[in-house]
Amino acid sequence: MKIPSARLMIPACFLLALPGATLSAEISVDATSIVRFEQRADTGVSKKDIIPATQFFGLDAAKLADGNLSLHLYGWGRGDLADKSYNNDQFDGSLTYGYLQYRFKAANADVRAGRFFVHEGIVNEQIDGASFRTDLPLGFGFSAFGGANVHTQNLYNENSDGKGDGNFGGRLNYRYRGVLELGVSGQYETNAPTLNNYPTVNHRTVGGDVWFSPHRSVELMGHTSYNTVTKGVAENSYLMNVKPLQHLVLTGEYNQHRERNYFYTWASFYKTLDLNNSNNRSSSIGGSASYEFTKAFEVVADYKHYTRETGNADRYGADIKMSFLDNSVRSGLGYHYLRAGKEFAIGDSPSASYHALRAYVMHDTKTYFAAVDVLDYIFKDKVYNERSAWEAMASLGYHLTPALAVSGDFSYGRNPQFTEEIKGLVRLTYNMTFDSKGGKK
Amino acid sequence: MKFFQQIFPALALAGLIMIVAACAQMQAIPGLPVSHPETLAAGQQVSCAECHEDQQKGTLKAFDAFSHSPAFVKNHRFYASSDERLCSSCHKSSFCNDCHTNQVEMKPSIKYGNRPDREMPHRGNYMTMHKIEGKLDPASCYRCHGRANNERCMSCHHN
Repeated sequence: MKIPSARLMIPACFLLALPGATLSAEISVDATSIVRFEQRADTGVSKKDIIPATQFFGLDAAKLADGNLSLHLYGWGRGDLADKSYNNDQFDGSLTYGYLQYRFKAANADVRAGRFFVHEGIVNEQIDGASFRTDLPLGFGFSAFGGANVHTQNLYNENSDGKGDGNFGGRLNYRYRGVLELGVSGQYETNAPTLNNYPTVNHRTVGGDVWFSPHRSVELMGHTSYNTVTKGVAENSYLMNVKPLQHLVLTGEYNQHRERNYFYTWASFYKTLDLNNSNNRSSSIGGSASYEFTKAFEVVADYKHYTRETGNADRYGADIKMSFLDNSVRSGLGYHYLRAGKEFAIGDSPSASYHALRAYVMHDTKTYFAAVDVLDYIFKDKVYNERSAWEAMASLGYHLTPALAVSGDFSYGRNPQFTEEIKGLVRLTYNMTFDSKGGKK
Repeated sequence: MKFFQQIFPALALAGLIMIVAACAQMQAIPGLPVSHPETLAAGQQVSCAECHEDQQKGTLKAFDAFSHSPAFVKNHRFYASSDERLCSSCHKSSFCNDCHTNQVEMKPSIKYGNRPDREMPHRGNYMTMHKIEGKLDPASCYRCHGRANNERCMSCHHN
Protein backbone atom coordinates (compact mmCIF):
# COMPACT_ATOMS: atom_id res chain seq x y z
CA MET A 1 0.00 0.00 0.00
CA LYS A 2 1.21 3.44 -0.84
CA ILE A 3 2.09 5.47 2.20
CA PRO A 4 0.48 8.91 2.08
CA SER A 5 3.21 11.46 1.58
CA ALA A 6 3.91 14.46 3.72
CA ARG A 7 1.93 16.52 1.24
CA LEU A 8 -1.23 15.02 2.66
CA MET A 9 -0.41 16.73 5.92
CA ILE A 10 -1.47 20.07 4.46
CA PRO A 11 -5.10 19.14 3.77
CA ALA A 12 -5.13 17.01 6.93
CA CYS A 13 -4.13 20.00 9.06
CA PHE A 14 -6.97 22.04 7.59
CA LEU A 15 -9.40 19.28 8.39
CA LEU A 16 -8.21 19.13 11.97
CA ALA A 17 -8.75 22.85 12.18
CA LEU A 18 -12.46 22.41 11.52
CA PRO A 19 -14.59 24.33 13.97
CA GLY A 20 -16.46 22.15 16.40
CA ALA A 21 -19.75 23.96 16.02
CA THR A 22 -21.27 22.13 13.05
CA LEU A 23 -24.77 21.60 14.38
CA SER A 24 -26.41 23.74 11.70
CA ALA A 25 -24.29 22.32 8.90
CA GLU A 26 -25.79 20.88 5.73
CA ILE A 27 -24.05 17.60 5.11
CA SER A 28 -24.03 15.49 2.00
CA VAL A 29 -22.48 12.03 1.80
CA ASP A 30 -21.75 9.98 -1.32
CA ALA A 31 -20.41 6.48 -0.90
CA THR A 32 -20.08 3.87 -3.61
CA SER A 33 -18.72 0.38 -2.96
CA ILE A 34 -17.84 -1.65 -6.02
CA VAL A 35 -16.53 -5.20 -6.19
CA ARG A 36 -15.47 -6.14 -9.71
CA PHE A 37 -15.02 -9.60 -11.13
CA GLU A 38 -12.99 -9.83 -14.31
CA GLN A 39 -11.49 -12.64 -16.29
CA ARG A 40 -8.95 -11.48 -18.81
CA ALA A 41 -7.59 -13.71 -21.55
CA ASP A 42 -4.76 -11.67 -23.00
CA THR A 43 -3.36 -12.90 -26.33
CA GLY A 44 -0.60 -15.44 -25.59
CA VAL A 45 -0.87 -15.07 -21.81
CA SER A 46 -2.69 -17.23 -19.28
CA LYS A 47 -6.06 -16.10 -17.94
CA LYS A 48 -6.16 -13.72 -14.98
CA ASP A 49 -8.89 -13.54 -12.37
CA ILE A 50 -9.24 -10.04 -11.00
CA ILE A 51 -11.41 -9.12 -8.00
CA PRO A 52 -10.73 -5.54 -6.89
CA ALA A 53 -12.93 -4.09 -4.14
CA THR A 54 -13.13 -0.29 -4.29
CA GLN A 55 -14.68 2.21 -1.92
CA PHE A 56 -15.38 5.74 -3.15
CA PHE A 57 -16.30 8.24 -0.48
CA GLY A 58 -17.32 11.88 -0.66
CA LEU A 59 -18.37 14.31 2.05
CA ASP A 60 -19.56 17.88 1.66
CA ALA A 61 -20.39 19.91 4.75
CA ALA A 62 -21.75 23.41 4.14
CA LYS A 63 -22.79 26.23 6.47
CA LEU A 64 -20.02 25.60 8.95
CA ALA A 65 -18.86 28.22 11.46
CA ASP A 66 -20.49 31.54 10.45
CA GLY A 67 -22.36 29.84 7.60
CA ASN A 68 -19.93 30.70 4.84
CA LEU A 69 -17.41 27.95 5.48
CA SER A 70 -17.65 24.54 3.84
CA LEU A 71 -15.64 21.34 3.75
CA HIS A 72 -15.28 19.15 0.67
CA LEU A 73 -13.69 15.69 0.64
CA TYR A 74 -13.49 12.96 -2.00
CA GLY A 75 -11.28 9.93 -2.45
CA TRP A 76 -11.13 6.20 -2.95
CA GLY A 77 -9.36 3.09 -1.70
CA ARG A 78 -8.96 -0.31 -3.32
CA GLY A 79 -7.88 -3.79 -2.33
CA ASP A 80 -7.24 -6.60 -4.82
CA LEU A 81 -8.86 -9.79 -3.56
CA ALA A 82 -7.27 -12.01 -6.25
CA ASP A 83 -4.70 -11.26 -9.00
CA LYS A 84 -3.45 -7.69 -9.04
CA SER A 85 -5.70 -5.51 -11.13
CA TYR A 86 -3.07 -3.53 -13.00
CA ASN A 87 -0.04 -2.38 -11.03
CA ASN A 88 2.20 -3.79 -8.31
CA ASP A 89 0.07 -2.55 -5.45
CA GLN A 90 -2.34 -4.98 -3.80
CA PHE A 91 -3.88 -1.97 -2.08
CA ASP A 92 -4.09 1.55 -3.42
CA GLY A 93 -5.90 4.76 -2.75
CA SER A 94 -6.08 8.44 -3.51
CA LEU A 95 -7.35 11.60 -1.90
CA THR A 96 -8.84 13.30 -4.95
CA TYR A 97 -9.57 16.50 -3.07
CA GLY A 98 -9.95 17.71 0.48
CA TYR A 99 -10.32 21.40 1.13
CA LEU A 100 -12.00 24.05 3.19
CA GLN A 101 -13.72 26.85 1.34
CA TYR A 102 -14.82 30.20 2.68
CA ARG A 103 -17.30 32.00 0.42
CA PHE A 104 -17.73 35.70 0.92
CA LYS A 105 -21.25 36.99 0.52
CA ALA A 106 -20.41 39.39 -2.29
CA ALA A 107 -18.42 39.43 -5.50
CA ASN A 108 -18.23 35.63 -5.88
CA ALA A 109 -15.16 35.81 -3.70
CA ASP A 110 -13.81 32.70 -2.04
CA VAL A 111 -10.73 31.28 -0.42
CA ARG A 112 -9.82 27.59 -0.63
CA ALA A 113 -7.20 25.76 1.38
CA GLY A 114 -6.22 22.11 1.15
CA ARG A 115 -6.05 19.82 -1.88
CA PHE A 116 -8.08 20.96 -4.86
CA PHE A 117 -8.11 21.40 -8.63
CA VAL A 118 -7.55 24.73 -10.33
CA HIS A 119 -9.34 25.46 -13.62
CA GLU A 120 -8.71 29.05 -14.57
CA GLY A 121 -8.23 30.05 -18.19
CA ILE A 122 -5.45 27.88 -19.62
CA VAL A 123 -4.47 26.62 -16.16
CA ASN A 124 -5.39 23.08 -15.12
CA GLU A 125 -3.52 21.99 -12.00
CA GLN A 126 -4.02 20.03 -8.79
CA ILE A 127 -2.26 21.41 -5.74
CA ASP A 128 -1.98 21.15 -1.98
CA GLY A 129 -2.17 24.81 -1.13
CA ALA A 130 -4.46 27.81 -1.21
CA SER A 131 -6.36 29.87 -3.73
CA PHE A 132 -8.33 33.09 -3.79
CA ARG A 133 -10.69 34.54 -6.36
CA THR A 134 -13.02 37.50 -6.57
CA ASP A 135 -14.91 39.69 -8.95
CA LEU A 136 -13.71 43.27 -8.97
CA PRO A 137 -15.45 46.53 -9.87
CA LEU A 138 -15.75 47.65 -13.48
CA GLY A 139 -16.12 44.09 -14.73
CA PHE A 140 -12.70 42.83 -13.68
CA GLY A 141 -12.00 39.58 -11.87
CA PHE A 142 -8.94 38.10 -10.27
CA SER A 143 -7.82 34.69 -9.07
CA ALA A 144 -4.56 33.35 -7.69
CA PHE A 145 -3.31 30.03 -6.39
CA GLY A 146 -0.13 28.63 -4.93
CA GLY A 147 1.12 25.52 -3.22
CA ALA A 148 2.76 22.16 -3.65
CA ASN A 149 2.14 20.09 -6.75
CA VAL A 150 0.25 16.87 -6.21
CA HIS A 151 2.69 14.37 -7.63
CA THR A 152 1.68 11.40 -9.73
CA GLN A 153 3.24 8.01 -10.46
CA ASN A 154 7.02 8.03 -10.76
CA LEU A 155 8.35 7.86 -14.30
CA TYR A 156 9.74 4.51 -15.38
CA ASN A 157 13.07 3.82 -13.64
CA GLU A 158 12.98 7.23 -11.92
CA ASN A 159 12.29 8.39 -8.38
CA SER A 160 10.14 11.27 -9.53
CA ASP A 161 7.21 12.08 -11.78
CA GLY A 162 9.26 14.87 -13.35
CA LYS A 163 7.20 17.69 -11.86
CA GLY A 164 8.62 20.51 -9.81
CA ASP A 165 7.45 20.71 -6.20
CA GLY A 166 5.84 24.15 -6.19
CA ASN A 167 3.25 25.64 -8.48
CA PHE A 168 1.58 29.03 -8.51
CA GLY A 169 -0.34 31.25 -10.88
CA GLY A 170 -3.66 32.88 -11.54
CA ARG A 171 -5.97 34.66 -13.93
CA LEU A 172 -7.06 38.22 -14.50
CA ASN A 173 -10.22 38.73 -16.48
CA TYR A 174 -12.44 41.49 -17.75
CA ARG A 175 -16.14 41.25 -18.60
CA TYR A 176 -18.20 43.73 -20.49
CA ARG A 177 -21.87 43.19 -19.67
CA GLY A 178 -22.93 39.77 -20.91
CA VAL A 179 -21.18 40.29 -24.20
CA LEU A 180 -17.44 39.90 -23.80
CA GLU A 181 -14.95 38.25 -21.49
CA LEU A 182 -11.20 38.48 -21.91
CA GLY A 183 -8.81 36.61 -19.66
CA VAL A 184 -5.07 36.36 -19.11
CA SER A 185 -3.79 33.42 -17.11
CA GLY A 186 -0.58 31.60 -16.35
CA GLN A 187 1.21 29.26 -14.03
CA TYR A 188 4.81 28.87 -12.92
CA GLU A 189 6.13 25.56 -11.65
CA THR A 190 9.34 25.50 -9.68
CA ASN A 191 12.34 23.78 -11.24
CA ALA A 192 11.75 20.21 -12.32
CA PRO A 193 13.99 17.51 -10.82
CA THR A 194 16.92 16.15 -12.78
CA LEU A 195 16.04 12.78 -14.29
CA ASN A 196 18.26 9.91 -15.43
CA ASN A 197 16.40 8.75 -18.51
CA TYR A 198 14.31 11.74 -19.51
CA PRO A 199 15.08 15.38 -20.24
CA THR A 200 14.49 17.86 -17.42
CA VAL A 201 11.51 19.95 -18.49
CA ASN A 202 9.96 22.85 -16.64
CA HIS A 203 6.23 23.53 -16.81
CA ARG A 204 5.55 27.24 -17.26
CA THR A 205 2.79 28.62 -19.44
CA VAL A 206 0.84 31.80 -20.04
CA GLY A 207 -2.16 32.40 -22.24
CA GLY A 208 -5.25 34.32 -23.07
CA ASP A 209 -8.88 33.34 -23.38
CA VAL A 210 -11.91 34.98 -24.93
CA TRP A 211 -15.70 34.63 -24.85
CA PHE A 212 -17.63 36.89 -27.17
CA SER A 213 -21.36 36.89 -27.73
CA PRO A 214 -22.46 39.93 -29.76
CA HIS A 215 -25.94 38.40 -30.01
CA ARG A 216 -27.49 35.75 -27.79
CA SER A 217 -27.56 33.35 -30.75
CA VAL A 218 -23.82 33.60 -31.41
CA GLU A 219 -20.90 32.65 -29.15
CA LEU A 220 -17.19 32.64 -29.95
CA MET A 221 -14.82 31.27 -27.33
CA GLY A 222 -11.38 29.81 -27.04
CA HIS A 223 -7.86 30.24 -25.82
CA THR A 224 -4.26 30.48 -26.92
CA SER A 225 -1.44 29.28 -24.70
CA TYR A 226 2.27 30.04 -24.84
CA ASN A 227 5.07 27.93 -23.40
CA THR A 228 7.52 30.33 -21.77
CA VAL A 229 10.20 27.63 -21.53
CA THR A 230 10.28 26.64 -25.20
CA LYS A 231 9.29 30.18 -26.15
CA GLY A 232 6.56 29.26 -28.56
CA VAL A 233 2.78 29.14 -28.97
CA ALA A 234 1.54 25.81 -27.63
CA GLU A 235 -2.17 25.69 -28.40
CA ASN A 236 -4.88 27.52 -30.28
CA SER A 237 -8.33 26.16 -29.50
CA TYR A 238 -11.48 28.01 -30.60
CA LEU A 239 -15.16 27.22 -30.81
CA MET A 240 -18.10 29.03 -32.37
CA ASN A 241 -21.73 28.27 -31.50
CA VAL A 242 -24.59 29.61 -33.59
CA LYS A 243 -28.24 29.11 -32.69
CA PRO A 244 -30.25 30.20 -35.75
CA LEU A 245 -33.39 28.53 -34.36
CA GLN A 246 -34.43 27.96 -30.76
CA HIS A 247 -33.60 24.25 -30.78
CA LEU A 248 -30.88 24.17 -33.44
CA VAL A 249 -27.21 24.56 -32.43
CA LEU A 250 -24.48 24.74 -35.07
CA THR A 251 -20.86 24.59 -33.96
CA GLY A 252 -17.52 25.07 -35.64
CA GLU A 253 -14.21 24.34 -33.92
CA TYR A 254 -10.52 24.72 -34.69
CA ASN A 255 -7.65 23.30 -32.65
CA GLN A 256 -3.96 23.57 -33.41
CA HIS A 257 -1.05 22.29 -31.37
CA ARG A 258 2.64 22.96 -31.87
CA GLU A 259 3.69 19.67 -30.42
CA ARG A 260 7.04 20.55 -28.80
CA ASN A 261 5.50 23.52 -27.00
CA TYR A 262 2.23 21.84 -26.02
CA PHE A 263 3.47 18.37 -25.04
CA TYR A 264 6.79 19.58 -23.63
CA THR A 265 6.30 18.16 -20.13
CA TRP A 266 4.85 14.83 -21.31
CA ALA A 267 8.03 12.96 -20.40
CA SER A 268 6.68 9.48 -21.16
CA PHE A 269 6.14 10.48 -24.78
CA TYR A 270 9.16 12.70 -25.30
CA LYS A 271 10.73 10.37 -27.86
CA THR A 272 7.49 8.95 -29.27
CA LEU A 273 6.30 12.43 -30.17
CA ASP A 274 9.77 13.62 -31.21
CA LEU A 275 9.54 16.64 -28.95
CA ASN A 276 13.00 17.89 -29.86
CA ASN A 277 11.55 18.73 -33.25
CA SER A 278 9.92 22.15 -33.07
CA ASN A 279 8.27 21.84 -36.50
CA ASN A 280 5.68 19.18 -35.70
CA ARG A 281 2.12 20.45 -35.62
CA SER A 282 -1.23 18.80 -35.34
CA SER A 283 -4.62 20.32 -35.94
CA SER A 284 -8.27 19.50 -36.22
CA ILE A 285 -11.20 21.37 -37.68
CA GLY A 286 -14.81 20.33 -37.52
CA GLY A 287 -18.40 21.13 -36.85
CA SER A 288 -21.66 19.75 -35.61
CA ALA A 289 -25.39 20.37 -35.86
CA SER A 290 -27.78 19.35 -33.12
CA TYR A 291 -31.54 19.70 -33.20
CA GLU A 292 -33.96 19.05 -30.38
CA PHE A 293 -37.19 18.03 -32.12
CA THR A 294 -38.88 17.60 -28.74
CA LYS A 295 -37.63 17.26 -25.18
CA ALA A 296 -37.67 13.52 -25.87
CA PHE A 297 -36.00 13.37 -29.27
CA GLU A 298 -32.67 14.91 -30.24
CA VAL A 299 -30.34 14.38 -33.21
CA VAL A 300 -26.67 15.38 -33.53
CA ALA A 301 -24.53 15.12 -36.67
CA ASP A 302 -20.82 15.91 -36.60
CA TYR A 303 -17.71 16.00 -38.77
CA LYS A 304 -14.02 16.46 -37.92
CA HIS A 305 -10.87 16.55 -40.04
CA TYR A 306 -7.54 15.74 -38.37
CA THR A 307 -4.14 16.73 -39.70
CA ARG A 308 -0.76 15.55 -38.41
CA GLU A 309 2.68 15.54 -39.98
CA THR A 310 2.21 11.86 -40.77
CA GLY A 311 -1.15 12.15 -42.50
CA ASN A 312 -4.77 13.15 -42.16
CA ALA A 313 -8.08 11.57 -41.29
CA ASP A 314 -11.81 12.29 -41.18
CA ARG A 315 -14.52 11.30 -38.76
CA TYR A 316 -18.23 11.78 -39.30
CA GLY A 317 -21.45 10.39 -37.96
CA ALA A 318 -24.59 11.01 -35.98
CA ASP A 319 -26.22 10.29 -32.62
CA ILE A 320 -29.86 10.09 -31.68
CA LYS A 321 -31.17 10.44 -28.13
CA MET A 322 -34.69 9.52 -27.14
CA SER A 323 -36.67 9.34 -23.93
CA PHE A 324 -40.06 7.87 -23.07
CA LEU A 325 -42.44 7.51 -20.13
CA ASP A 326 -41.69 10.87 -18.58
CA ASN A 327 -37.92 10.44 -19.05
CA SER A 328 -37.81 7.20 -17.05
CA VAL A 329 -36.78 5.32 -20.21
CA ARG A 330 -33.81 6.81 -22.03
CA SER A 331 -32.11 5.42 -25.10
CA GLY A 332 -29.57 6.34 -27.71
CA LEU A 333 -28.19 5.23 -31.07
CA GLY A 334 -24.92 6.29 -32.61
CA TYR A 335 -22.88 5.68 -35.73
CA HIS A 336 -19.49 7.14 -36.67
CA TYR A 337 -16.95 6.30 -39.33
CA LEU A 338 -13.27 7.12 -39.05
CA ARG A 339 -11.35 7.25 -42.30
CA ALA A 340 -7.68 6.97 -41.43
CA GLY A 341 -4.71 5.51 -43.24
CA LYS A 342 -1.94 3.08 -42.35
CA GLU A 343 0.01 5.80 -40.53
CA PHE A 344 -2.57 5.65 -37.70
CA ALA A 345 -3.13 1.89 -37.84
CA ILE A 346 -2.56 -0.77 -35.19
CA GLY A 347 0.28 -3.16 -35.95
CA ASP A 348 0.53 -4.18 -39.61
CA SER A 349 -3.05 -3.35 -40.48
CA PRO A 350 -3.21 -1.52 -43.85
CA SER A 351 -5.59 1.13 -42.47
CA ALA A 352 -6.96 2.55 -39.24
CA SER A 353 -10.46 3.07 -40.59
CA TYR A 354 -13.32 1.74 -38.54
CA HIS A 355 -17.07 1.97 -38.00
CA ALA A 356 -18.29 2.71 -34.45
CA LEU A 357 -21.83 1.68 -33.56
CA ARG A 358 -23.55 2.11 -30.23
CA ALA A 359 -27.02 1.45 -28.86
CA TYR A 360 -28.26 1.74 -25.30
CA VAL A 361 -31.48 1.79 -23.37
CA MET A 362 -32.08 2.31 -19.66
CA HIS A 363 -35.07 2.36 -17.36
CA ASP A 364 -35.00 4.12 -14.00
CA THR A 365 -37.91 3.85 -11.57
CA LYS A 366 -38.29 4.52 -7.86
CA THR A 367 -37.81 0.82 -7.15
CA TYR A 368 -35.57 -0.73 -9.79
CA PHE A 369 -33.31 0.40 -12.62
CA ALA A 370 -31.90 -1.46 -15.59
CA ALA A 371 -29.67 -0.73 -18.58
CA VAL A 372 -28.29 -2.43 -21.67
CA ASP A 373 -25.40 -0.94 -23.65
CA VAL A 374 -23.80 -2.39 -26.80
CA LEU A 375 -20.75 -0.88 -28.48
CA ASP A 376 -19.05 -2.29 -31.57
CA TYR A 377 -15.96 -1.06 -33.41
CA ILE A 378 -15.81 -2.77 -36.81
CA PHE A 379 -12.40 -2.43 -38.47
CA LYS A 380 -12.15 -1.90 -42.21
CA ASP A 381 -9.09 -4.17 -42.14
CA LYS A 382 -8.57 -6.84 -39.52
CA VAL A 383 -6.49 -5.99 -36.44
CA TYR A 384 -4.48 -8.95 -35.10
CA ASN A 385 -6.82 -11.16 -37.12
CA GLU A 386 -9.92 -9.78 -35.40
CA ARG A 387 -12.59 -8.03 -37.44
CA SER A 388 -14.05 -6.05 -34.53
CA ALA A 389 -13.83 -5.00 -30.90
CA TRP A 390 -17.24 -5.22 -29.25
CA GLU A 391 -18.71 -5.20 -25.80
CA ALA A 392 -22.23 -5.75 -24.49
CA MET A 393 -23.14 -4.72 -20.96
CA ALA A 394 -26.27 -5.30 -18.90
CA SER A 395 -26.99 -3.66 -15.56
CA LEU A 396 -29.78 -4.29 -13.05
CA GLY A 397 -30.33 -2.53 -9.74
CA TYR A 398 -32.78 -1.99 -6.90
CA HIS A 399 -33.38 1.05 -4.68
CA LEU A 400 -33.41 -0.36 -1.16
CA THR A 401 -34.26 3.14 0.10
CA PRO A 402 -34.36 6.45 -1.81
CA ALA A 403 -30.70 6.96 -0.83
CA LEU A 404 -29.38 3.40 -0.93
CA ALA A 405 -29.21 1.21 -4.02
CA VAL A 406 -27.64 -2.10 -4.93
CA SER A 407 -26.87 -3.01 -8.53
CA GLY A 408 -24.92 -5.45 -10.63
CA ASP A 409 -23.36 -5.20 -14.09
CA PHE A 410 -22.28 -7.95 -16.43
CA SER A 411 -20.39 -7.49 -19.67
CA TYR A 412 -18.91 -9.70 -22.34
CA GLY A 413 -16.78 -8.69 -25.26
CA ARG A 414 -14.28 -9.81 -27.87
CA ASN A 415 -11.44 -7.66 -29.14
CA PRO A 416 -7.93 -7.83 -30.59
CA GLN A 417 -6.38 -6.94 -27.23
CA PHE A 418 -7.77 -9.63 -24.95
CA THR A 419 -9.60 -11.83 -27.51
CA GLU A 420 -12.25 -12.41 -24.83
CA GLU A 421 -13.23 -10.24 -21.88
CA ILE A 422 -15.78 -11.14 -19.22
CA LYS A 423 -16.52 -8.60 -16.50
CA GLY A 424 -19.00 -8.29 -13.70
CA LEU A 425 -19.45 -6.08 -10.70
CA VAL A 426 -21.64 -5.54 -7.67
CA ARG A 427 -22.27 -1.93 -6.68
CA LEU A 428 -23.68 -0.43 -3.48
CA THR A 429 -24.46 3.27 -3.75
CA TYR A 430 -25.40 5.64 -0.94
CA ASN A 431 -26.21 9.27 -1.75
CA MET A 432 -27.65 11.27 1.08
CA THR A 433 -28.05 15.01 1.45
CA PHE A 434 -29.06 16.18 4.89
CA ASP A 435 -30.66 19.42 3.80
CA SER A 436 -33.88 20.57 2.22
CA LYS A 437 -32.58 22.45 -0.80
CA GLY A 438 -31.94 21.58 -4.41
CA GLY A 439 -28.47 20.38 -3.63
CA LYS A 440 -25.84 19.37 -6.11
CA LYS A 441 -25.28 16.34 -8.30
CA MET B 1 11.61 37.60 -20.16
CA LYS B 2 14.19 40.18 -19.02
CA PHE B 3 11.81 42.99 -19.94
CA PHE B 4 9.06 41.30 -17.95
CA GLN B 5 11.36 40.99 -14.94
CA GLN B 6 12.18 44.71 -15.14
CA ILE B 7 8.59 45.88 -15.26
CA PHE B 8 7.25 43.26 -12.81
CA PRO B 9 7.62 45.46 -9.66
CA ALA B 10 5.71 48.29 -11.32
CA LEU B 11 3.00 45.92 -12.50
CA ALA B 12 2.74 44.33 -9.06
CA LEU B 13 2.42 47.73 -7.38
CA ALA B 14 -0.23 48.88 -9.85
CA GLY B 15 -2.13 45.66 -9.30
CA LEU B 16 -1.96 46.04 -5.53
CA ILE B 17 -3.25 49.60 -5.65
CA MET B 18 -6.06 48.52 -7.93
CA ILE B 19 -7.02 45.68 -5.61
CA VAL B 20 -7.05 47.88 -2.50
CA ALA B 21 -9.22 50.47 -4.28
CA ALA B 22 -11.52 47.76 -5.57
CA CYS B 23 -11.98 46.19 -2.14
CA ALA B 24 -13.78 49.31 -1.00
CA GLN B 25 -16.49 48.68 -3.60
CA MET B 26 -16.64 44.91 -3.28
CA GLN B 27 -19.74 44.75 -1.10
CA ALA B 28 -21.87 46.14 -3.92
CA ILE B 29 -20.93 43.39 -6.37
CA PRO B 30 -23.55 40.60 -6.35
CA GLY B 31 -22.55 36.96 -5.97
CA LEU B 32 -23.99 33.73 -7.33
CA PRO B 33 -26.01 31.56 -4.94
CA VAL B 34 -24.12 28.73 -3.27
CA SER B 35 -26.40 26.16 -4.83
CA HIS B 36 -29.27 26.02 -7.28
CA PRO B 37 -32.51 26.46 -5.32
CA GLU B 38 -34.41 23.79 -7.27
CA THR B 39 -33.55 20.14 -7.71
CA LEU B 40 -32.80 19.47 -11.36
CA ALA B 41 -33.94 16.24 -12.97
CA ALA B 42 -31.24 13.62 -13.43
CA GLY B 43 -30.68 12.41 -16.96
CA GLN B 44 -32.27 15.37 -18.68
CA GLN B 45 -30.39 17.94 -20.74
CA VAL B 46 -30.80 21.03 -18.58
CA SER B 47 -32.17 24.04 -20.40
CA CYS B 48 -31.36 27.10 -18.28
CA ALA B 49 -33.41 29.32 -20.60
CA GLU B 50 -36.61 27.55 -19.55
CA CYS B 51 -36.64 29.52 -16.30
CA HIS B 52 -33.97 32.15 -16.85
CA GLU B 53 -34.95 33.62 -20.19
CA ASP B 54 -33.73 37.21 -20.66
CA GLN B 55 -32.31 37.30 -17.15
CA GLN B 56 -28.85 38.43 -18.09
CA LYS B 57 -27.71 40.90 -15.39
CA GLY B 58 -24.55 42.92 -14.95
CA THR B 59 -21.53 41.01 -16.22
CA LEU B 60 -23.25 37.63 -16.04
CA LYS B 61 -23.32 35.78 -19.32
CA ALA B 62 -26.75 34.94 -20.70
CA PHE B 63 -28.05 31.83 -18.93
CA ASP B 64 -28.93 30.23 -22.24
CA ALA B 65 -25.20 29.94 -22.96
CA PHE B 66 -25.06 27.30 -20.21
CA SER B 67 -28.00 25.19 -21.39
CA HIS B 68 -26.68 21.65 -21.58
CA SER B 69 -27.11 21.08 -25.29
CA PRO B 70 -25.00 18.33 -26.90
CA ALA B 71 -22.60 21.07 -28.07
CA PHE B 72 -22.27 22.39 -24.52
CA VAL B 73 -21.63 18.96 -23.03
CA LYS B 74 -19.01 18.14 -25.65
CA ASN B 75 -17.24 21.49 -25.28
CA HIS B 76 -17.82 22.15 -21.58
CA ARG B 77 -14.09 22.72 -21.02
CA PHE B 78 -14.41 26.22 -22.49
CA TYR B 79 -17.13 27.16 -20.00
CA ALA B 80 -15.53 25.48 -16.99
CA SER B 81 -12.27 27.38 -17.48
CA SER B 82 -13.94 30.75 -16.89
CA ASP B 83 -17.18 29.95 -15.05
CA GLU B 84 -16.29 27.20 -12.60
CA ARG B 85 -18.23 29.04 -9.84
CA LEU B 86 -21.41 28.86 -11.90
CA CYS B 87 -20.84 25.13 -12.58
CA SER B 88 -20.38 24.54 -8.87
CA SER B 89 -23.83 25.90 -8.04
CA CYS B 90 -25.25 22.64 -9.46
CA HIS B 91 -22.30 20.22 -9.58
CA LYS B 92 -20.08 18.98 -6.80
CA SER B 93 -16.40 18.87 -7.62
CA SER B 94 -16.61 15.06 -7.59
CA PHE B 95 -18.98 15.22 -10.58
CA CYS B 96 -16.07 16.66 -12.59
CA ASN B 97 -13.44 14.50 -10.92
CA ASP B 98 -15.04 11.22 -11.94
CA CYS B 99 -13.27 11.91 -15.23
CA HIS B 100 -10.85 14.78 -14.57
CA THR B 101 -8.64 13.62 -11.76
CA ASN B 102 -5.12 12.87 -10.70
CA GLN B 103 -5.46 9.15 -10.20
CA VAL B 104 -8.51 7.35 -11.52
CA GLU B 105 -9.37 3.94 -10.09
CA MET B 106 -11.65 2.73 -12.84
CA LYS B 107 -13.08 4.06 -16.05
CA PRO B 108 -16.06 6.31 -15.29
CA SER B 109 -18.15 4.22 -17.67
CA ILE B 110 -17.55 1.20 -15.39
CA LYS B 111 -18.25 3.12 -12.19
CA TYR B 112 -21.48 4.33 -13.77
CA GLY B 113 -22.31 1.28 -15.87
CA ASN B 114 -25.94 1.76 -14.85
CA ARG B 115 -25.98 5.20 -16.51
CA PRO B 116 -25.24 4.68 -20.23
CA ASP B 117 -27.06 7.97 -20.95
CA ARG B 118 -24.22 9.98 -19.42
CA GLU B 119 -21.37 11.17 -21.63
CA MET B 120 -18.27 9.25 -20.51
CA PRO B 121 -14.89 8.80 -22.16
CA HIS B 122 -13.36 5.50 -23.28
CA ARG B 123 -16.46 3.33 -23.39
CA GLY B 124 -16.08 -0.23 -24.59
CA ASN B 125 -12.71 -1.72 -25.42
CA TYR B 126 -10.70 1.50 -25.48
CA MET B 127 -7.50 -0.43 -24.76
CA THR B 128 -7.53 -1.38 -28.44
CA MET B 129 -8.92 1.84 -29.80
CA HIS B 130 -6.45 4.15 -28.06
CA LYS B 131 -3.75 2.83 -30.36
CA ILE B 132 -5.54 4.58 -33.21
CA GLU B 133 -6.96 7.58 -31.38
CA GLY B 134 -3.67 8.41 -29.65
CA LYS B 135 -1.86 8.71 -32.96
CA LEU B 136 -4.70 10.63 -34.51
CA ASP B 137 -5.13 13.29 -31.83
CA PRO B 138 -2.54 13.08 -29.04
CA ALA B 139 -3.72 16.42 -27.63
CA SER B 140 -7.02 14.80 -26.65
CA CYS B 141 -5.01 12.31 -24.53
CA TYR B 142 -2.70 14.97 -23.10
CA ARG B 143 -5.52 17.12 -21.72
CA CYS B 144 -6.37 14.44 -19.14
CA HIS B 145 -3.33 12.15 -19.07
CA GLY B 146 -0.43 14.48 -19.77
CA ARG B 147 0.43 15.72 -16.31
CA ALA B 148 -2.01 13.71 -14.21
CA ASN B 149 -3.98 10.51 -14.23
CA ASN B 150 -1.19 8.81 -16.17
CA GLU B 151 -0.39 5.72 -14.13
CA ARG B 152 -2.01 3.40 -16.65
CA CYS B 153 -0.23 5.13 -19.54
CA MET B 154 3.17 4.65 -17.94
CA SER B 155 2.71 0.93 -17.41
CA CYS B 156 3.44 0.58 -21.17
CA HIS B 157 4.68 3.95 -22.46
CA HIS B 158 8.16 4.44 -21.01
CA ASN B 159 9.45 6.90 -23.58
